Amino acid sequence: MSGNGTDMSGAGMSGAGGDSGADGNGAADTAGTEPADGVATNDGSVKPTSARGDSADTTSAHGDSVDTTSTDDGSVDGLGTWRTWARAIVPADRAAAEAGVRAAYRAAGLPEPERIVWAGSPRAAVSLIRELTDRGACVRDVVRDAPWAAERARLHAELGAGGWSEHWAATGGRLWESTQALVDRIRTGVLEDLAGGTTGKEATAVRLLLLEAVLGQHDAPWLAAFAPAGGPFEALTEVCRSAGWWWPYARVAVMSERPVALHQDEAGRLDNGEGPALAYPDGFALHAWRGMPVPADFLTELATLTPVRIHKEENAELRRVMLEYYGYDRYLKDSDAKPLHRDETGTLWRIDLVGDEPLVMVEVLNSTPEPDGTHRTYWLRVPPRTRTAKEGVAWTFGVDAEVYAPSQQT
Amino acid sequence: MYRQGDVLIVPVAEEAVPAHVAHAPRERRDARGRLVLALGEVTGHAHAVVGPGELIREPGPFGPMLLHLPRGGRVVHEEHAVITLPEGWFRVIRQREYVPGSVRIVAD
Repeated sequence: MSGNGTDMSGAGMSGAGGDSGADGNGAADTAGTEPADGVATNDGSVKPTSARGDSADTTSAHGDSVDTTSTDDGSVDGLGTWRTWARAIVPADRAAAEAGVRAAYRAAGLPEPERIVWAGSPRAAVSLIRELTDRGACVRDVVRDAPWAAERARLHAELGAGGWSEHWAATGGRLWESTQALVDRIRTGVLEDLAGGTTGKEATAVRLLLLEAVLGQHDAPWLAAFAPAGGPFEALTEVCRSAGWWWPYARVAVMSERPVALHQDEAGRLDNGEGPALAYPDGFALHAWRGMPVPADFLTELATLTPVRIHKEENAELRRVMLEYYGYDRYLKDSDAKPLHRDETGTLWRIDLVGDEPLVMVEVLNSTPEPDGTHRTYWLRVPPRTRTAKEGVAWTFGVDAEVYAPSQQT
Repeated sequence: MYRQGDVLIVPVAEEAVPAHVAHAPRERRDARGRLVLALGEVTGHAHAVVGPGELIREPGPFGPMLLHLPRGGRVVHEEHAVITLPEGWFRVIRQREYVPGSVRIVAD
């Protein structure tokens, strides 16, 4: 049996198993440590209530014993509170956020900002900052970066390299990939909107301001790893719970609203075929289909696609989006594609594309019938060299065709 | 081997299980006391094992996850029929899909 992943092409693969922290140092993704718990409040947000448990409660159940350790925030991994905050699309709780900001300045030994100003989005915040001539120096280092570096060093010393890695994998690491991808996309979107691209003098000026932001709700991964309630990061946690990105300057703090819409697919990628995948109340928005950035007017065209239009599209990435949106099954039927191979596992199809590798797919029947007794059919794209349906299905599970033989399927 | 939707469960001979697995950290159970093999973050639907046992993340040829069921168990999911597993060790594999330039997991 081949190892899972032997056929992976390219560096962008996402291995089976879900989120793995970019900072996880390759350690086993493990459980056993508990971040701050929380309870839902009636405004749709979640408020922290209790301290993180002792990090040494790693479960070690063996044999017949049943591990009944579980989280009590309703999520499988105990990170539901942080996940909720990171993805919150409700208006900022401005009073709570401002209190958190003032407390963060005080905790850093700084005088509170003279003014706190609000913007409708990170884009508007950057524009606003550029007009502020009296904001003073950026104090992000003393408000956030230095305390975080100290806490990370403390945890690293206390837990050891392996222990820190496990702690990160069980906490922030699980939120890191999708949150960081979102942060990167927002930064790119702001750069493109304000500077017309990601290079050049103007882009550099915007980029430097973006790098001065504290990420508010998107700081959830790090805070999940660091923050026991009542600890040194209570103020930063309060802002994470209450607002979007914010910029700490000596005299002024600039705050951004949170998004009003956020659509992600199962893999955590921005994904919406019918409108912005991410939108802020002032109109700043990002469009994406299964993680791929697309122009806003491209989505409008998706509703009226034809096989001819798809075939004529020269941009291979946009054509893939068109194919996914149109539906592989519909395209196979409408373009008179011929099956390459059939066996007990399904049917293998192939469509040759100009200037791109061929589209090869297995058509598989879902084994559990739907309530009406029919079986749902689904298509999975497989590597173009696949020769039989069974080989294709086996590939989707990372095993060789000769050994793929489920004795039971549901 | 057994397939429930996008998860394949392959028996592993006990003598093939690496020795260090005995000391590896175990995955936490969910709020309902189940071992979650795969979770759909958006639907919240999970492939999960009910009953005594352990789930270990194990990168490498036996990973990404090893399941140990000393008395057998049942694999449940909101949209698939239950699968009954015998006692023993299993490798849990999540289905993936080919994307030119990358590979992504399938979520049902």
